Amino acid sequence: MVGASLFFYGWWNWRFVFLLLWAITSNWVAGSQIAKQLHAGSNQLARNWMRTAIVGDLVLLGVFKYYDFFAVELSNLFGGKTAIPLLELTLPVGISFFTFQAMSYVIDLHRRVIKPMPMLDFAVYLSFFPQLVAGPIVRAAEMAPQIRNQPDPRRVASGEAFHLILRGLFKKVVISSWLASSIVDDVFSNPESHSSQDVLVGVYGYAIQIYADFSGYTDIAIGVALLLGFRFPTNFDRPYSALSLREFWKRWHITLSSWLRDYLYIPLGGNRGRQADTYRNLLLTMILGGLWHGSTWNFVIWGFIHGLALAVERMLPNQQTHPVIRWFITFHIVCFAWVFFRADSLSSAIDVFRAIGSSPSSLELSSAFAILLLAGMLMAQFFPHSKSEDVKQWLSKQRVLTQGLAFGFGLVLIDLFGPEGVAPFIYFQF
Amino acid sequence: MEDKTDTELQMHPDRVGFPAGKVFLSGVAGLILAVAVNSSTLLADAERLPDSRSRSLSVAIWTPIEEVASTLKLTWPRTVGDSLLGRDEDEVRISLQREQIGAKPESGEEEWVVLSVEEEASGDQLDQTPSVTSGPVWSPENPFTIWVLGDSMVQFFGETFVAMAERSALVAATSEPKLASGLSRPDYFDWPARISAVITAHDPDAVILMFGGNDAQNIKTDDGQWLERFTAQWEEEYRKRIALVMDLATGKEGRIVLWVGQPPMRGDGFDSRMRQLNDLYRSEAGRRPGVKYLDLRSLFTDESGNYARYLPNSSGKLTDVRLTDGVHLSQWGGEWLSALLLDEIKKSPELDGLWAE
Repeated sequence: MVGASLFFYGWWNWRFVFLLLWAITSNWVAGSQIAKQLHAGSNQLARNWMRTAIVGDLVLLGVFKYYDFFAVELSNLFGGKTAIPLLELTLPVGISFFTFQAMSYVIDLHRRVIKPMPMLDFAVYLSFFPQLVAGPIVRAAEMAPQIRNQPDPRRVASGEAFHLILRGLFKKVVISSWLASSIVDDVFSNPESHSSQDVLVGVYGYAIQIYADFSGYTDIAIGVALLLGFRFPTNFDRPYSALSLREFWKRWHITLSSWLRDYLYIPLGGNRGRQADTYRNLLLTMILGGLWHGSTWNFVIWGFIHGLALAVERMLPNQQTHPVIRWFITFHIVCFAWVFFRADSLSSAIDVFRAIGSSPSSLELSSAFAILLLAGMLMAQFFPHSKSEDVKQWLSKQRVLTQGLAFGFGLVLIDLFGPEGVAPFIYFQF
Repeated sequence: MEDKTDTELQMHPDRVGFPAGKVFLSGVAGLILAVAVNSSTLLADAERLPDSRSRSLSVAIWTPIEEVASTLKLTWPRTVGDSLLGRDEDEVRISLQREQIGAKPESGEEEWVVLSVEEEASGDQLDQTPSVTSGPVWSPENPFTIWVLGDSMVQFFGETFVAMAERSALVAATSEPKLASGLSRPDYFDWPARISAVITAHDPDAVILMFGGNDAQNIKTDDGQWLERFTAQWEEEYRKRIALVMDLATGKEGRIVLWVGQPPMRGDGFDSRMRQLNDLYRSEAGRRPGVKYLDLRSLFTDESGNYARYLPNSSGKLTDVRLTDGVHLSQWGGEWLSALLLDEIKKSPELDGLWAE
């Protein structure tokens, strides 16, 4: 499994295989030392090993992902002179995911939540190819028992796995790619040349596009892992049905939000201190969460909006507001923040809002089909038992050969309905 | 975790699953079905790959599969599906346009080519009055029209350019990028045919072209022969294609045609190949008074003349002008280039004041 995963990673750029191997080795050694020192009763030494490993992971992330961003900002701060040399390094795919998994491993060891993993098991955990490049961020506590006990080859949940892979491909290839190529990319590349309604549809379109894209990838990853006998945690649970930002983050990229909660928000003090401290912790956590997605001010603002909204939600007294109004406000705050997430720069984001605020004219870009698709996707979020679940149930009850042939037929349909040339997954860049 | 899984499996006996071997075989059966039904598409995709060992291997694999699948009538669901979705119409349209272009002209015969296409396609004789030289006749109803055509590079500045250009109500601009396209592989996307169609249908006043990013590859000639890239024969054939596109674009007197050269690239090998292509574009543009070649190498390099991702903007602040891929332009880079292109168009004295209103 390790060999296959490294081959998979090396296919993109073989040089970065060494980076992954370094992350595996350094964190495993640190983890072993943490366990050893805890066993010997030396909590301080164990803590030092944990800190060393975390600093090592952050340095890795910092050099490849953030160095140039801070170097440029510092340089501009001091009058635009390039005093600090720029590295202009290629960002290794998946680095944000595997470094976060590695950090959770050493922290959980220090917290005595888990026991140290054998070297090979740890290598499988950190490099496991279905989730290596774009998550979900799986905790060692979730994966270690599954790796140690080894999956049962007599019971592969093939119906569920085929269904997840097909569903993920459909979301990515058909829905996400279609929305991107027919509305969203046009709107965000030149908002001022479209009507305010078209731009608004483009913003809603991006909300659905990124959901279809990322949850589609997650479905595929979970499905492939299931075929190999591993069960990943749920990463999305109908996030656009949320009635508050707090609920949204319990439904969107759940493995990242729970990571940020357990390893950042709570260590910062969580909601244990004064109200002001809680607001500060929320803001800091979400801003750093934004920065995790990318080293631009747009992501910082995206995180700030979410942090601020979460803090304001806590400030407001519990009102008996109608659920529809709560949903409307939550969804639009999320969409408002998505504009910064998607736009190439701050000025582009402002252009989008300016275009929405301009005098309305006719819909040109958005077809009736596009609006119906968006409405349908949004409404589907409110049905816990969707048609997709029915398909899963049906597929799971079929004979194994029928499942395989249905899978093949599904692939044909997805290829048929998908546009020519499918863009890479959005979350590959993070 | 495992306990939970077991419990879940017990609660849902239908989900207990099957032995891995059977699942593997059923998955393979599904993939075979998908491959057979899609074999025509897969073969077409393989044929569009750049000439390489990988292409030869892919074609060698998909050809017999497609033949067997076609013989067994397994490809009909895909064919019917494509037909219902109108996918085959695009191919028919492009091949018709290609036929209309006819034989490739020698340099200097551009007028013949364009006129014949125009006459064939629309049946109407276009207004032969030189648009740019006829004075400031532009109005919102009769705007100065600009088309930006090219590969994925255009995708990263085309819409920015359109927005900048359309700040004047007297200008109508259109950006039309086609990803992964170029002049090397008309079997993937036939730019001469497309340019011909644009000229015929829209008679633009200015055309901006940018190709090359996907063109440093072997070329297949009309008689099916592969020419290895950057050999003398390859260069001769590629020059012909550049010439054809330039001639189609210039067409009528007075039309502004800007050919945008490739900027410096981060990868040394890729950069070297783009330099060679730029030499060809510059040389062919130099032979045509109606075509202006724009060199981007000086615009996107640092003080040492090397590729730079970050460059100081007009206020001296470092700004990212390239994307992380080391190839495409960032939004800022796109704005720089768009401003440069607009300045070039404004150099025509007849267009004075077009953007001032």
